[in-house]
Amino acid sequence: MFLRRLRLYGPLALYGVFLLLPFYWMLLTTFKPDAELLKSPNPFLIFHVTIEHITGLLTQTQYLQWFGNTLFVSAASTVVSVFISYITAYAIIRLRFPGSEVVSTAIFLAYIVPPAILFIPLATIIIQLHWFDKLWALVPIYATFLVPFCTWLLIGFLKNIPRELEEAARVDGASNFAIIWRIIFPIAVPGLISASIFSFTLSWNEYLYALVYMSSSTNKTVSVGMITELIRGDRFQWGELMAGALIGILPAILVYFFFVEYYVAGVSGSVKE
Amino acid sequence: MSHPDRRRFLQMSAAGIGAATMAGGFPALASAADSPFKPEKGAALQLLRWKGFVKRDDEVWAENTAKFEKATGIKVTIDALSWPDVTPKAALAAQVGSGPDIIMGWNDDPFVYPDKLVDMTDLAEHVGKAHGGYFDTAHTYCFDPEVKRWVSQPIGVTGNALVYRKSWAKEAGFAEFPKDFDGMLKLARGLKKNGHPCGFSLGHAVGDANGWTHWVLWGFGGKQANPDNSIAINSAETTHALEYAKQLYETMIAGVAGWLDPNNNQAFLAGQLGLTMNGISIWASSKEKPEIYADVANVVPPYGPSKQHTIFNNFTSAFIFKYSKYPQAAKEYLRFMLDTPQADPWVTGMVGYVTPALKGYADLPVWTSNPNITPYRDAMAGAKFDGFNGKPGKAAAQALDEFVIVDMFADVCVNNMAVKDSIAKAEKRLATIYKR
Amino acid sequence: MTGRPQILARLDSPRVLGYVLIAPAAVLLLGLLAYPLVLGVWLSMTSASLGNAGEFVGLKNYATILDDPIFRGAAAFSVLYTVCAEIGKLTLGLALALILNQRFRGYRAARSLMLLPWVAPTVLSALAWLWLLDPQFSALSWLLIKLHLIETNIDFLGHAWPARFSLIVVNIWRGLPYFAIGYLAGLQGISKDLYEAAAIDGATGWQAFRRITWPLLAPITTILVAFSSIFTLTDFQLIWTMTRGGPTDSTQVFTTLAYQRAITGGQLGEGAAIAVAPIVFMVVLAVIVVRSVRER
Repeated sequence: MFLRRLRLYGPLALYGVFLLLPFYWMLLTTFKPDAELLKSPNPFLIFHVTIEHITGLLTQTQYLQWFGNTLFVSAASTVVSVFISYITAYAIIRLRFPGSEVVSTAIFLAYIVPPAILFIPLATIIIQLHWFDKLWALVPIYATFLVPFCTWLLIGFLKNIPRELEEAARVDGASNFAIIWRIIFPIAVPGLISASIFSFTLSWNEYLYALVYMSSSTNKTVSVGMITELIRGDRFQWGELMAGALIGILPAILVYFFFVEYYVAGVSGSVKE
Repeated sequence: MSHPDRRRFLQMSAAGIGAATMAGGFPALASAADSPFKPEKGAALQLLRWKGFVKRDDEVWAENTAKFEKATGIKVTIDALSWPDVTPKAALAAQVGSGPDIIMGWNDDPFVYPDKLVDMTDLAEHVGKAHGGYFDTAHTYCFDPEVKRWVSQPIGVTGNALVYRKSWAKEAGFAEFPKDFDGMLKLARGLKKNGHPCGFSLGHAVGDANGWTHWVLWGFGGKQANPDNSIAINSAETTHALEYAKQLYETMIAGVAGWLDPNNNQAFLAGQLGLTMNGISIWASSKEKPEIYADVANVVPPYGPSKQHTIFNNFTSAFIFKYSKYPQAAKEYLRFMLDTPQADPWVTGMVGYVTPALKGYADLPVWTSNPNITPYRDAMAGAKFDGFNGKPGKAAAQALDEFVIVDMFADVCVNNMAVKDSIAKAEKRLATIYKR
Repeated sequence: MTGRPQILARLDSPRVLGYVLIAPAAVLLLGLLAYPLVLGVWLSMTSASLGNAGEFVGLKNYATILDDPIFRGAAAFSVLYTVCAEIGKLTLGLALALILNQRFRGYRAARSLMLLPWVAPTVLSALAWLWLLDPQFSALSWLLIKLHLIETNIDFLGHAWPARFSLIVVNIWRGLPYFAIGYLAGLQGISKDLYEAAAIDGATGWQAFRRITWPLLAPITTILVAFSSIFTLTDFQLIWTMTRGGPTDSTQVFTTLAYQRAITGGQLGEGAAIAVAPIVFMVVLAVIVVRSVRER
């Protein structure tokens, strides 16, 4: 029994240390006074807890605004992208229109285009559309990398839904619309949730586009705001940076904690035969 | 601004008095009236600048801007980015033909897209005349000799100096800071022996690594290019510089090859470092640690065999894109911000972080208020420009951005590459860059 | 009165509805992805620089970068970075999935916690690592010194190989949970009966893994590796935050070099050529995935 436990919890503990160390470090740095950051008898402990970094972050910077911006952009681009992806995936899988194979491949190929090559030419387009420095513009921009991915994920998921369901509904005279919304949609929920979680995370983490296309302080996202406003000249404000990082990952933790099972089921659905 | 304050400024810099000072109760308004720049009706400005190295910079800049807004009714929106992020943003604005009206950029930025920029000659000459003229480097960075006009308004440099611990230098036998490179090496060896090594970044640290490697290269008389932009890096002088740097590297604290700009500050403030090169930020933030603060000294780096001041500092200037609808308002804003009533509290408030390009501001009392500030006053006087002694411009900017000089030093010091191989590598790279 | 139902009826035909449903995705991807991509490829064949449209130069930029040792170094490290990180993520991720596939007290919490590296904003966690790997203040060095394993601080990011190794480890750290969750999903799809049958035949745990688990996980492995490789090959934030491609360009990858040349250096054409280069690798990966998806 003990051996069995050791074999389970031993490796688990090692993983825990490796995977969570940087977060422990964030937590530690957040509550550590500046003096202890550079000189401490034991860097893994805090000797005088302080909340000055958190209050500094919340009062001296526009962190809350950035947080709200990120939340808005991530949520909106997730909803928009997952919706578009769902109807696209359905069309490709079930409505075998001429060219659907080509579309499916094209959408997949779209996913492998790295933002690093796109953002200069894309900038020209953003300017022409008068989207520059408009927070909502990030929604369609993020959709360019979310839609291909979510579509691909949902194609895998929808494939596994038995056709009989639709055929039975069709016999009963249901239109395609009805099938899409009343029959397939409820079944696809786990897949949609997993696509949403992915989208939310990818949007939450995005850096390059937000850095280049947003410029006013009021339109920044958390990552961009923190890097551009908290690194002052040649001093890292470690306390504030780590406090911001810590608060910045909270939404993601909550989402995952509640939906982790859906997520696993969703991925499972999309890769299983 | 209240009267007594204003009077103080009048007394302080006679050379810098603009028309503003002649007015009675409304100095800002009056100065606007006498200014050669007539803001467009309904103008609104967007300024992109780098985030101040010290909080006071942003605060005073914002106060001055508020004064400008009040006096002229022109709304100015300020966006501040971390300093290395401004150059790409400016380039993007140039590319797409839209963005901020005024950008405070770095080094050769204006030379990368001179034809996109508003002719700044009237402003630069007006401001220069009012404030004692410019240091030579400012002229090099902002006056385009090909089109024969000013393309940017000089502002200043973030100065570098050597920062060291007095007691540890004394312990190593140097009550006074050495006056030449040999002495400096001896000091570095002494510091190392006593466990307080020096440290100079050899990583891709935009400010620190470029700062000291150029100082050593130029100190020995080495240079990247000739005035006609032919490559001049392959020389006996460069060889000497690299050999010297290698010896210096042996005395350094471990890890300098990975250092970004904040690393030497951290190490110094933790008491691990006896000597480094930096802006005034180390000394300024050491105030929080009284035992270090009392022991820190800043000095102008010693001259090398070339017997001249060879420091490299990042230079900042403000330029206006032609797409701006309000170029006159933008010029008036810059004129206003660089005028004594505004510039004095700004420069004074920053306590040496930015050394103005205008000679008139070298006399401000702040520079002599503490001997540790004075070395930064001279950051502009003897500063050379990147790509020295070639032409400022795209090629020089790219060589700097690609860290060609820094990597040449790092190859010898850290990667144990033979000096001549390292020079050959840099020469080849420079040839590619300058050929573009 | 009959117009509306008629339109609806026509809309309901698979052919028409199919095009209607893919229209939003098509507009989005053609306008904001395909078009800029073509523009980008076009840029790679011009002498464009920031603020200057340049002119068509054919493949000259590609010739230039192929002759450039820094680009060749970046290409080599990109591939090395990807290969090593993928191997690490795959093995460690699979092992973690095998552990998490068991029911034990707190398994749900464990699954959520282990995902954190994947969900945390990369720039910010890279900063935490930068701080952990600091040459002077590294808590890891401090710990190892206290344990008497080393005598002086490890210079994690100051020399070529330690820096490369550190970046690979941090990349593994970030991507491992993605593999773990993917494999966890795969494992839950494997029927318990298979293992029971194997146990009756007297197979050891390792044999069961070799003969049952691994082959059944093959399809998901392909997909996980392909996707993750695409992410890894075009990684930017992590390397840019931690080393900016240094020391001495030893950790440059395609994207950091492209950013440096195109954005900070203003050489749009050359930068675009560097950015386009990894597409060759990505297409190969994409073909593998498309095939494996179609086969099933």
